Amino acid sequence: MEIRFTLNGKPTVVDVPPDTTLLHLLRDYLDLTGTKCGCEIGECGACSVILDGEVVNSCLVLAPQVEGRQVITIEGIRGPDGGPNDLQEAFIEAGAIQCGFCTPGMVVAATVLLRKHGYPTREQIVEGISGNLCRCTGYQQIVEAIQMTVLRRAGLPGKEGLA
Amino acid sequence: MSGKGGPSLSIKHFDYVRATSCAEAVAFLSDPTHVSRLLAGGTDLMVLRHKGEVHWDRLVDISQVPEMRSISQQDGAIVVGAAVTHAEIVEHPLIQRHLPLLADACHSIGSPQIRNRGTIGGNVANAAACADTLPALVCLEAVARIVTKDGEMTMPVKDVVVGPNRTSLPAASVIRDFVIPIPPAQARMAFFKIGRRQVQSISRLSLACLGWLNADGRVAEVRIVPGACTPQTRRFDQAEAVMLGEVPTEELVRKAGQAGAAQMVAITGRRWSTPYKELALPALIERALRKVFGLPEVR
Repeated sequence: MEIRFTLNGKPTVVDVPPDTTLLHLLRDYLDLTGTKCGCEIGECGACSVILDGEVVNSCLVLAPQVEGRQVITIEGIRGPDGGPNDLQEAFIEAGAIQCGFCTPGMVVAATVLLRKHGYPTREQIVEGISGNLCRCTGYQQIVEAIQMTVLRRAGLPGKEGLA
Repeated sequence: MSGKGGPSLSIKHFDYVRATSCAEAVAFLSDPTHVSRLLAGGTDLMVLRHKGEVHWDRLVDISQVPEMRSISQQDGAIVVGAAVTHAEIVEHPLIQRHLPLLADACHSIGSPQIRNRGTIGGNVANAAACADTLPALVCLEAVARIVTKDGEMTMPVKDVVVGPNRTSLPAASVIRDFVIPIPPAQARMAFFKIGRRQVQSISRLSLACLGWLNADGRVAEVRIVPGACTPQTRRFDQAEAVMLGEVPTEELVRKAGQAGAAQMVAITGRRWSTPYKELALPALIERALRKVFGLPEVR
């Protein structure tokens, strides 16, 4: 079944069986392996992508459901020079990454959060990443990385501002 | 588990069609050459797929049917399309203004990712014992409007779900929308849920409550609807009877809680979860009644 949609800003056509999930379409047919395959039942958030501006679990979306729609994956989230953007730099700086498996999903969820709330409260940040499990960090550093990004985007000192 | 060259899990393969109207979805479901099931947000169905429990050979996607996608005010009611997502309900001004109980119930579901996909119609039609919108919809006296082979019919939501994962929906039918009467301006509502953690958790017990006082401070209306509690989601009339016509007091809300626990045990018998639920349900009923009737909170 041919599926036409916009992927990371580019018109894309891919031929997959109709019972393929969006997760496997991305990983197995387009080699976009930044989107991680975790639980495949919508619990862990490792497969998070942005569908028409909203964060979703790509394991719960059937590939034909994205026909004609906009999908952004972790490969589409980067700085103007193609390297890490400010949010991704903050993840590195805050020590918000250990094994790294949850990181793409976390960055995707945080990207949507920061688009929706310019200045999210800590509570809103925690809720924004509540669908993403991390078994290494204990979440504190991830919340800090997002808070640092919020402060810096507002022209305030990041890490220092949190101390 | 995901190598190159296609899905690694061996599942029973199935086909996909997208419906553009309820009538078309009903026609797809009625096609005797396929075993079809409806697909909306996929938050339950795709889990079955992953578990290999594929009891269909074709999915009929209703997630983008226009007549199922809107929230509007019609006369004295809010009409919510069955394919509206939980996130859309939480954020909608008409729901926030008139049906905060439903917004709270939808907000308690899953995670942002789940709320962005899961739909209110799917939550009802899947009929999980722990479905969080059910107590809210029953408490608000919502009516489902259903498109069938033989035309349209209506059914109170309380009669749609007859037991865990069982509905009374006719074969080859589609819930188009829910008509939810707007409660009077003086009504107050509450929704509380107990899970193992705050988010992404299955309800152990939930409670939807609504009520208002008359001019002399007596309870004019009260509706108490526990979720994940009894096979059918129902108003607990014995707990309500304690409150009705009385001036709400601490003693009265405690009595209502006890009456609610007694009614639960009368319906379910003593199950493995009863020792927990007969303590937790009265506490939830008391907390909800305090909020609805303006008594001070107790910690």
